[in-house]
Amino acid sequence: MRLGGARRWLVLALLVAAAVSAGSGVMNRYYLGVASEVGINVILAVSLNLINGYTGQFSLGHGGFMAVGAYVAAKMTLVFGEQVGAAFQPLLFAGALVAGGGAAALAGLAVGVPSLRLRGDYLAVVTLCFGEIIRVVFQNSAFFGAATGLSGIAPWTTFGWSWGVAALTVYVVLALVHSTYGRGFLAVNDDEIAASAMGLNPLKYKVTAFLVGAFFAGVAGGLFAHMKRAINPEGFNFMRSIDVVVMVILGGMGNTAGVVAAAVLLTVLPELLRGFSDCRMIAYSLLIIVLMLLRPQGLFRRSGKGGGL
Amino acid sequence: MSEKLLQLDAVTIRFGGLTAVSEVDLSIGHGELVGLIGPNGAGKTTMFNLITGVYQPTSGQVLFGGRGLLGLRPHHRTRMGMARTFQNIRLFGSMSVLDNVRAAMQLHRRDGWRQALWRGNQARESERGVESKARELLAIFGLEERCQENALGLPYGEQRRLEIVRALATSPRLLLLDEPAAGMNPTEKVELARLIRLVQERFKISVLLVEHDMKVVMSVCERIAVLDYGRKIAEGSPVEIRRNPNVIAAYLGQEVADA
Amino acid sequence: MQQLVNGLALGSIYALIALGYTMVYGVLRFINFAHADLLMLGAYAGYFVAPALAPVFGEASYGLLAATVFLAAVACAGVGAGIEYLAYRPLRNRPKLTVLITAIGVSLLMEFGCQHPAVFGAKTRPFPQLLPAEQIHFLGATVSRVDMVIPLVTCGLLMGLWWLVQRTRMGMAMRAVSFNQQAAALMGVNNNRVISFTFALGSALAAVAGVLYSVRASGIDPLMGIRPGLIAFSAAVVGGIGDLAGAVLGGLLLGMLETYVGGLPGVSNYRDAISFGMLVVILLVRPSGLLGRAQVEKV
Repeated sequence: MRLGGARRWLVLALLVAAAVSAGSGVMNRYYLGVASEVGINVILAVSLNLINGYTGQFSLGHGGFMAVGAYVAAKMTLVFGEQVGAAFQPLLFAGALVAGGGAAALAGLAVGVPSLRLRGDYLAVVTLCFGEIIRVVFQNSAFFGAATGLSGIAPWTTFGWSWGVAALTVYVVLALVHSTYGRGFLAVNDDEIAASAMGLNPLKYKVTAFLVGAFFAGVAGGLFAHMKRAINPEGFNFMRSIDVVVMVILGGMGNTAGVVAAAVLLTVLPELLRGFSDCRMIAYSLLIIVLMLLRPQGLFRRSGKGGGL
Repeated sequence: MSEKLLQLDAVTIRFGGLTAVSEVDLSIGHGELVGLIGPNGAGKTTMFNLITGVYQPTSGQVLFGGRGLLGLRPHHRTRMGMARTFQNIRLFGSMSVLDNVRAAMQLHRRDGWRQALWRGNQARESERGVESKARELLAIFGLEERCQENALGLPYGEQRRLEIVRALATSPRLLLLDEPAAGMNPTEKVELARLIRLVQERFKISVLLVEHDMKVVMSVCERIAVLDYGRKIAEGSPVEIRRNPNVIAAYLGQEVADA
Repeated sequence: MQQLVNGLALGSIYALIALGYTMVYGVLRFINFAHADLLMLGAYAGYFVAPALAPVFGEASYGLLAATVFLAAVACAGVGAGIEYLAYRPLRNRPKLTVLITAIGVSLLMEFGCQHPAVFGAKTRPFPQLLPAEQIHFLGATVSRVDMVIPLVTCGLLMGLWWLVQRTRMGMAMRAVSFNQQAAALMGVNNNRVISFTFALGSALAAVAGVLYSVRASGIDPLMGIRPGLIAFSAAVVGGIGDLAGAVLGGLLLGMLETYVGGLPGVSNYRDAISFGMLVVILLVRPSGLLGRAQVEKV
């Protein structure tokens, strides 16, 4: 993918999102809801792909980052939502999303630092623990509604917001990894020793990946909160992190287009199976196993070619 | 510039009870091509890792451009102007040939994530500059045709060459080559020797060549140091080394006489 | 004293589960995410066989407990070996991550499969009484019988495993496979048999833990394995995964911690956060776990 192309796609995606958003009044609410969820999952999967796919750190903490973003953003709009006029609502929403992302990025920094010392399974465990710690903290914090969580959150997440941010996420990740600077993420993944021998600081790249990945997970959390209108700690458990990891792996690690496709597929598929609610999660888990047996490089990856689009 | 580019003073490293490198002095001047040889297990690669910062010496010091390197990690040392290749090839396997070189050019750039996200004219100019410089380097080594191929898809000899290009892309003052002839056939070795001389002349840099293969070292280096059991047993011109009885003993007399 | 006994019992259960994780990891270098669900299956196996065994061994007796544990272990050993054969074996030489995701898939399949109304259903079921209810008074502490039994079982199994790994031909084969699969195969070790055996053994351990855990807990449900699984997994990592003694040490440590923190007013709700926080700290100080990898017990 050429450098100029990414920006063109960004503009296109934003236009589509704005157009659909404008016309959303006449569209089916259910489909719009699913579509918004698709956008949120794309953000989560693409941002995790920067950490797990491009930089090669195995993080199981994305649910935790998402929780931080969701709570911070929701709390902000709950507190200030009454005080601002309707005209300023989008501004407040954007501010809340950024604040949520920022808080999540701080959490990402806290998780990224241990990654300097740990690798592989051990890092996976530590990120998993961080995710669980974050959840337990929210569960016990009266300020954030403890176990019942927060409710009555304004329904501000439209299709346009979710897809707009999704497009932005895709742009940021692609623009980063395709720049000369960003080749460092892949270099660290390929061979840390060689990367440092080429003057690249592996620690810096790893922490940056965690920071950026967590930021967007936080923003996705904020969008999620303003879509569901009620959040509780259980919604951000270990399963949530696993869901995102599965999207990244199905799409093919370090393959943004594939990861986007996988996020769409894995959001829409369970909805299609809604009629068979008893069996749909069984089908979902079988799908994971069968795919790993048949196409372990991911659904959409041309074999042998890494770091492509 | 009378001072040496690289200077090792009585460098020693112990792993537990084993002294892998003991009291070795070595210096490399500006533009000099020095060889470091020795039988298997003599401590050549350990020396290499001491210089590049993978290990820290137990005692003694390493000076680069007159500056002590104590505690500096490998990427710092590369920024100071030291670049290396690896005995067991370590290319970036998920990237194209061109990107392997691009990645190695980041260290002297000021453009970071901001420029990657906000592509102003200047940033684009800089990216273009990187790419054309990378292509130029690849062309010198006859790899320009391979730019878009995956690095690990290259034949063995070309992978070794790409490692050298990648190291040169960091604009080093000292190039450290770790057994570049390993696994090469005689023709490739001759070609390699030519290449090393070309690098030194064209880029005006110093080269430290750690090598097992006598012929390559003898034909390329101006000065050779010989390690055996972690000690430096000889140092001098190729002719002197060939006649040195200690060296002949270390190598059982055979290879040296043949070379 | 009371806390100590409770912590010891809880810790021993975690240790049992951690032993299963660590056995499989030691041989295959891979985290068997489905282990927690084998624990759940073991509990259900106990739930179904115990009533059938009760007439033979008598209601609520040590014999009943032993027989139930044994049958559950046999059943889970079969299931574990089956999972390995169907899902993991075809992936033997693939990247670790692929296997990890498959394991997550297997885990989800078991959780959701068992929640299906046609299987066990999502409802919590009461676990049968396997031991006499009256408690034992011991050095000023009141101890339920199962809490006395659990540490003994764990201790016995640890010694048994150690003997198996260090002193038997199968154990030697396991160590060989752990060290280098290809070399082991060249030396005439039947890798497939060793790995199947390891899985069967690990799953049997999960079943033992599952039954004992259920005797302590109030009821069983298809998701019951997740929390103890997560904590036991952490315990295995804290101790140094792949190391038998480390798994037990880590399990005891986390069990004790949970019991003590759970008893403190004010912070008891944070017990999981504190357990996990400690894990993070331990790993930062000792990145390869408390007993590291240099231990001889490494499988």
